[in-house]
Amino acid sequence: MAEHVKIGDFAFLEDTPEAPIYDIVFVEGAPITEENIARLKKLRAKSKVLVALGACAALGGIAEIKNYQDKFERMRYVYKNFESINNPDIKPLSYYVKVDWEIPGCPINKEEFLKIAKQLLAGIPPAIAQRPVCYECQIKQNKCLLQEGLPCLGAIMLAGCGAICPSNNYPCDGCRGPMKNTDPDKLNKQLMSQNYTQEEIDLITQRFGLEDKVYPEPPIKM
Amino acid sequence: MLIKIDHIAKIEGHAGFTADIVGGNVKKARLDVQEGARLLEGILRDRSIFEVSQITSRICGVCPVVHTLTSLKALERALKIEVSEETVLLRQLMMMGQILNSHALHLFFFSLSDFFDFKDDLALIKKYPDRAKDALFIRDFGNKIIEVIGGRSIHPITPTIGGFLKMPSKIKLSRIFDQCDKALASAKSLTKLFASLKYQNFTRSAPYASLRHLNEYAFYDGLVKTSDDSKADLAEFMNIIREHQLQNSAIKYSYYQGKPFMVGAISRLNNNAHQLNPEAKKALKSAKIILPAFNPFYNILAQAIELIHCVEEAQKLLRQVLRKDLKGATRSEHDELIQAQLKAIKGTAKGIEAMEAPRGTLYYFYEINSNGKVVNCNIITPTSQNLARLERDLEEYLPKLTVKNIPKKEIEAKIMMLIRAYDPCLTCATH
Repeated sequence: MAEHVKIGDFAFLEDTPEAPIYDIVFVEGAPITEENIARLKKLRAKSKVLVALGACAALGGIAEIKNYQDKFERMRYVYKNFESINNPDIKPLSYYVKVDWEIPGCPINKEEFLKIAKQLLAGIPPAIAQRPVCYECQIKQNKCLLQEGLPCLGAIMLAGCGAICPSNNYPCDGCRGPMKNTDPDKLNKQLMSQNYTQEEIDLITQRFGLEDKVYPEPPIKM
Repeated sequence: MLIKIDHIAKIEGHAGFTADIVGGNVKKARLDVQEGARLLEGILRDRSIFEVSQITSRICGVCPVVHTLTSLKALERALKIEVSEETVLLRQLMMMGQILNSHALHLFFFSLSDFFDFKDDLALIKKYPDRAKDALFIRDFGNKIIEVIGGRSIHPITPTIGGFLKMPSKIKLSRIFDQCDKALASAKSLTKLFASLKYQNFTRSAPYASLRHLNEYAFYDGLVKTSDDSKADLAEFMNIIREHQLQNSAIKYSYYQGKPFMVGAISRLNNNAHQLNPEAKKALKSAKIILPAFNPFYNILAQAIELIHCVEEAQKLLRQVLRKDLKGATRSEHDELIQAQLKAIKGTAKGIEAMEAPRGTLYYFYEINSNGKVVNCNIITPTSQNLARLERDLEEYLPKLTVKNIPKKEIEAKIMMLIRAYDPCLTCATH
């Protein structure tokens, strides 16, 4: 593929000055400093297509956990001199700029990345099938972790990972984010009937910063 | 002369460099780390011990394995859980995969171009197509090991407190075993190339530290051995090197007895070269470096020698693992054990553990309560130990460059070469 594209700026591979404009820009990570936010906006302005790459860019990722805690206390715990360290709420890229496409996951699925990159190069709008992780998990004929009593979120989370976590006996914790238009309440009720508290469920959805995606409005705690 | 480098490419994370040299004296030399604070140690508090290792894995995409495993080991220490021999073997194997994929990346893709004048690795690949294949093969070999045991090469899934959620398939392990000879040949040719390069002549006196184990070249376990030949247990040493936050920065520096010190491949080689595997020993001999080495540029060569060692070690470990029956405990057996250990905690329990990450010793400290929640946490990464020494090195190295009247561009290139020789990971350093 390197034959067909010109790499503008990829600091892992080269040390050349940044290009003035981009056809496609892949942005990893969630902004955490003032400079990050400024650079993101600059990149948006000079790029035709902006793709959010990975869970931090698409959802906020693990750094967003502090949004659900007392982030000022967390800062004081880690740093004595904290006044000059930026401590914004962590938001996905789409909070700051228009995001054209998202490639979710932590880590991303490399096959999916290559497929979408090729589609973008060919001018085909990429689409990730809106299927739950359960769909891929059942194809693999895995035993169901939810039925075994584990807090697996596969029923409402976006597939495309090959259900890699449940296939390894680890319940889905939603690193790819929820499918569009899902109703989280059914799964929530199911988990609560399995003796999980709302607090425990929230801890899981906070992990990759998707509590605010599952519940766009503040949840009504039962 | 004012030197200002806005962005240093080919390191993990973002940093620049500023220096001011007046009349041959360095007035200041400073790394400007441009990473934000993710507050990892803060956000882990009040969270469950069952999930924190999955979260700390996300500190770094290059070395997630060592973050996962060190985190788990520290929790097991706090819980007083001993893991089985097969668990140790499998974790050691994963660590070989971790060192191999990280070193191969740093050696070929980050460091090699510094010895030539390439700005772009695609040109480098054209010049050394076979060595590029070697580097990629070794990376792939390392990643395969992690994937087969951990379920995934980045952010492995199966490692858990007390062992593994799922045992690897022996068929897949034996397929990796079949590739060992080819990986060893690749490691040897790559190391030969790195032994033939001309390294900058810059020797300075600086303390160093690494783990030291009685029976093996330490990665997974050991005491801390320093250049003054003192040995300390991990808890003692983690206390001695206490971190200091730089004013107005999300970076912390660590000092040993008030002095900046170095960790990483060259420090390991200085301490443990006698424990290298046979082929790695041969490579060390033909590389003709005198140990202990006090030239930080040799960190690159030390990584190359470790490549050979780690492939040999992986082969040894695979042989052992393939003779085990790899049954592992079930989830409920794991859970029962952990719950029993949690019940035994009165108040809180503490655990400190360390491993040799690709870039040096990585320390984890947890204090947990009987509800299975993290009360306190501290993580000291290799780069946050190395940064103070790197800055001191730059201060000492710069005058040597400026007296020779070489052009500023070349001075800047040499500065970046020294920075990259340390293989810094600023994402880890700020975590």
